[in-house]
Amino acid sequence: MNTVIDAHNISKIYNKENIPVYAVNNVHLHLQKGEFTALVGPSGSGKTTLLNLIGGLDKPDDGKIEINGVEITSMTSNQLIDFRLKNIGFVFQSFNLIPVLTAKENAEFIMQLQGINKKEREKRISTLFKQIGLEDRLNSRPSQLSGGQQQRVAVARALASKPQFVLADEPTANLDSKSAANLLDIMALLNKEENMTFIFSTHDQRVIERARRVITLVDGRIFSDTAKVETDIPHEITSNTT
Amino acid sequence: MIIIMAWRNIWRNKMRSLVIMMSVIIGLFAGIMVLALYKGMLQGRVKTVIYAEVGHIQIHDSNFKKDYEPSYILKNGDDILTQLKKIPQIKSIALRSITQGMLSTTTGSAGIQINGIVSESENEVSQLSKKIIEGKGFDPRKKNEALIGKKLADKMKLKLNSKLVLTFIDSSANLVSGAFRVAAIFQSDNAPLDERNIYVRQNELNDLLSIAGNYHEIAVILDKNQNTEIIKQQLQKQFPDKSIESWREISPETDLMVNTVDVYSYIIIIIILFALAFGIINTMLMAILERTREIGMMTALGLNKLKMFLLVLVETIFLTIAGTPLGLMISWLIINYYNKHGLDLSGMGKDLMSSFGFSTIIYPEFPIEKIISVMLIVIITALLSSLFPAIKALKLQPVEALRK
Repeated sequence: MNTVIDAHNISKIYNKENIPVYAVNNVHLHLQKGEFTALVGPSGSGKTTLLNLIGGLDKPDDGKIEINGVEITSMTSNQLIDFRLKNIGFVFQSFNLIPVLTAKENAEFIMQLQGINKKEREKRISTLFKQIGLEDRLNSRPSQLSGGQQQRVAVARALASKPQFVLADEPTANLDSKSAANLLDIMALLNKEENMTFIFSTHDQRVIERARRVITLVDGRIFSDTAKVETDIPHEITSNTT
Repeated sequence: MIIIMAWRNIWRNKMRSLVIMMSVIIGLFAGIMVLALYKGMLQGRVKTVIYAEVGHIQIHDSNFKKDYEPSYILKNGDDILTQLKKIPQIKSIALRSITQGMLSTTTGSAGIQINGIVSESENEVSQLSKKIIEGKGFDPRKKNEALIGKKLADKMKLKLNSKLVLTFIDSSANLVSGAFRVAAIFQSDNAPLDERNIYVRQNELNDLLSIAGNYHEIAVILDKNQNTEIIKQQLQKQFPDKSIESWREISPETDLMVNTVDVYSYIIIIIILFALAFGIINTMLMAILERTREIGMMTALGLNKLKMFLLVLVETIFLTIAGTPLGLMISWLIINYYNKHGLDLSGMGKDLMSSFGFSTIIYPEFPIEKIISVMLIVIITALLSSLFPAIKALKLQPVEALRK
């Protein structure tokens, strides 16, 4: 198996001086290449914090995280920015795109930061926009796109630079049913076609139903970790709750 | 990408950006107008000094200026004159006999400088005839006429044809007097000069001074000011025993003004732009605070600190310099208009301007040679203004920014 994310007993504690609050409490988690995983749980259960830790946006107070065998917890903030740029794709809940850039420019943003040449960028954007069904909206600004279309562009941007995995924080939270279903179809397609690893935090039952693995968090701990039997993507469940 | 984003970002809040651009336009116009006015005033003053007062170069006996003794005539003056006429850069020459003396009327007396002149050559060098406001100048049919300045005339209550007595020491140190009548009253841009100087015919003054056929001063007008130092050095070599002075040495206060006014102008521009910088900083801070989440998102995606800094920097520079072409153009148009028509500042006090030797009508000149310096000051203002907002943006942690 090809392990992409390997989190060892990670904890994140807020308000350490007074009454400590464990946003993430001693979580141990492995994710394999090509997984389509949902992180679920009630509000305040630590989904977003866990995603932030895995994504190198925040540092755990305890434990360590390895991405493709590289430990990120000891990196400086500048090293983390560079690491995120090269290895991780992000889809946020809302205000996901840079408003002054067109859909195409938004999708190109990370590739430009990576120094990928124009020809290669054009080719990749063309493929991705066909996959997300927005090849006719390349030059539209975010304000000219619907919420669902914006999230599709965000997915294209996350995938454009071919990261190790994509983290999506409640990607369907602000979408209507049709747009949400459409976005999930696209992510599932990209997961299948490009063998891209997706990890979502979500409350959305529609997302949970489409996920092949569902990790439930309660009070910062993994309450359950369920792999769907019908999944055709093999994975190994090694998370535990303590 | 950074440049595109920066440019588009400044148009996200059009009204706010336009207000800053207008401030830059007005600030720049004010600064350039100050430079243009100073330049126009000084050029006017320098022209007055050269073409209405002292000429480019003056030649005296080396002892003459110590206490203006009439006996220190310019020896071999005619030989000097012959040599001067051979220099092609010299356009006109005036010969002057000069003495210090006393003007007396029935109402009082005043210390003055009496200049013995030849009308034709004096008019070429100092345009004396153009300054006459009453009377017509020397009448060839009359003798013992004097041209006096308006300020002196007012002070001594003299009018045309009024009688006055000039008393002074001749070349043998004898006290001599001569009675003259006012043939004309002149007024220049330099009131102190008008109050101090009186002009009479050279031959009449020379007779009284007992220096017939001689003179004390040769004033020279050159083809252009840039030749002053070259010709001065050349003359100094030719006539080493004479005192050869350029207008800069004769009127050092004018030279000082020319050399220091640039510094004052730049200080004024820097003060204007310094005040403007606070407006720019405020606008950029608001822009950064409004985009906290967006900045957090870009950092999360991998925009490093250097590029974030550059984004804020370029955005601030764009915001600052976007109004610059319009500011320059408006300045150019207005300055050019007043350069042709003159800016009349007599309302601000004609006497005051005149007492400092300045004309009340200023012809401002667009300071084209200083535009690069002004632009540099604008860009430095933008760079300094960007620092605080950029540091604020760099301090944002993506996790915290994304929560907002």
